[in-house]
Amino acid sequence: MPIPHGFKAVLRVVEWDLMKLKRQKAFIAMRTAWFIIQSLVFGYAISRIARPDIGVDYYKFYLLGLYTALLYSASIARAYIIADEFDDGIIDYHLSLPLKRSVLAAGRVLGGAVSTLIFTAPMMVFILFLTGGLDPISFLISIASAFTFSIGVVSFVVIIVMKLKSTDTTDIFFGTIDAILVRLSSVFYPLPIIKALNIPAYYYSALFNPLTHFADFLRALVLPEYFLLELSPAQSMFYILGLGIGLLVVAIELFERKLEAGGVK
Amino acid sequence: MSSELRSIVNIAYRDIARFWRYKYWLAGQVAMNLADILIFGLIFNGVVNKDLIPDYVRFVTPGILCLSIFISSFSIGREVGVELRREVTQYLLTLPVRREGLIIGRLLGGAARGLVYQFGFLVFASIILSPPSLEGWVYVLATSSTLALTMSSVSISLSTVTRDFNLQATVRSLTYYILFFVSNIFYPQKVIAARLGPLAPVVDYSPLTMATNIYRWAFRYDASINPWGNFAGLGAWSLVIVALAYKLYIRNLLRD
Repeated sequence: MPIPHGFKAVLRVVEWDLMKLKRQKAFIAMRTAWFIIQSLVFGYAISRIARPDIGVDYYKFYLLGLYTALLYSASIARAYIIADEFDDGIIDYHLSLPLKRSVLAAGRVLGGAVSTLIFTAPMMVFILFLTGGLDPISFLISIASAFTFSIGVVSFVVIIVMKLKSTDTTDIFFGTIDAILVRLSSVFYPLPIIKALNIPAYYYSALFNPLTHFADFLRALVLPEYFLLELSPAQSMFYILGLGIGLLVVAIELFERKLEAGGVK
Repeated sequence: MSSELRSIVNIAYRDIARFWRYKYWLAGQVAMNLADILIFGLIFNGVVNKDLIPDYVRFVTPGILCLSIFISSFSIGREVGVELRREVTQYLLTLPVRREGLIIGRLLGGAARGLVYQFGFLVFASIILSPPSLEGWVYVLATSSTLALTMSSVSISLSTVTRDFNLQATVRSLTYYILFFVSNIFYPQKVIAARLGPLAPVVDYSPLTMATNIYRWAFRYDASINPWGNFAGLGAWSLVIVALAYKLYIRNLLRD
């Protein structure tokens, strides 16, 4: 069966994004060093001071949260790349190509998500190995859910960068939102412990935070003994899927209807 | 005041004035630092083994003082990075100011930002812990000034290494992780030292461990700490880092 032209065009845009990954050796090396420090130094030390009776091995809990934070940060880092492209006029060049806007938007989002996934896959394998969850089924489900999650985050990034049109504001905005969303989630602390604090605003922020859903989905998948779940894995997966598709549609819509050379009008 | 000194003050003042342009960023950072004390501290109070750390909020507060200095002093590096990318540096080099004056002014401007930003957190720490004695305040001010100058220097020198925006942000984050996680800010020294094995002295001699030790002593969390020894170590770090940053900044400023 021949591949539809639109799909082939999306693949070309994805390929263009993947080619850029090759040129990011220093970036990849530094992110890997960052991951090693977080997993083998900070994670280890912080789990040594955790109580042994909180209902889960805190080190394993932390590692799966760390992967979530890493995938999220790597997806957010697309913002810096796209903002740079705006500055260098590459987005203007893309808009002049004989491609449909929807193809360009879908290609950029999917390309960003695939790049992020390729970049974080070795870390996922390492974490699944450390947590004892490295079986083919868990691995494939983890990859699929990570891809869906990353599509949502990259779509969000594309939407915001197109609105901001400034490297400076992008840096400030994403630097802040990156840190805030990780804090307001169950990435590093179990949701029932957040609930026990009796700060409803904090608890509900964490409950609706996509990072919480992705991290707890991974935990439910990999740690059978993990019983600190406030959400069912199916609920979390539907939430992540809905968010990914919803934000992708908004990003495509924005490209098609609002984007002009130089940013969003 | 000599004209050279006035130029340095003008440049530092310009950087402090620009600091207030980022109101939303500042508000976000303050919220995050407070969240670090309140949320991270409170939640970890429920997670941490009380035999090791009886009150995690009190334990982590002095480290948050270092964190506040790091975040605000590092904001100057972000701006220097943008200047390099946009070639504003060419304009800076044409100013009727000696290059030495320009660089000293930038380093001091970054340090001043750190001190301004940290002020509220010092009050906060006095409430959560205990207010320092007069001698304690002298140590706190000296430590904060030295640390702010060190962080501002690190940030400026790192930002001039690359013009790649994404790489600049990654370098900044990696520096944060190395400095903060390989220190005694979030966990007792013996815990992290056990993990690092033969590399354990790295934690003892980290500038952030030394600064945190002084804050813990000054805010009466741990009276057994020797503040003078730690301050001497922090001062030595500062001298080396400021000198290196100066060299690196001037080299990269003049690079095509």
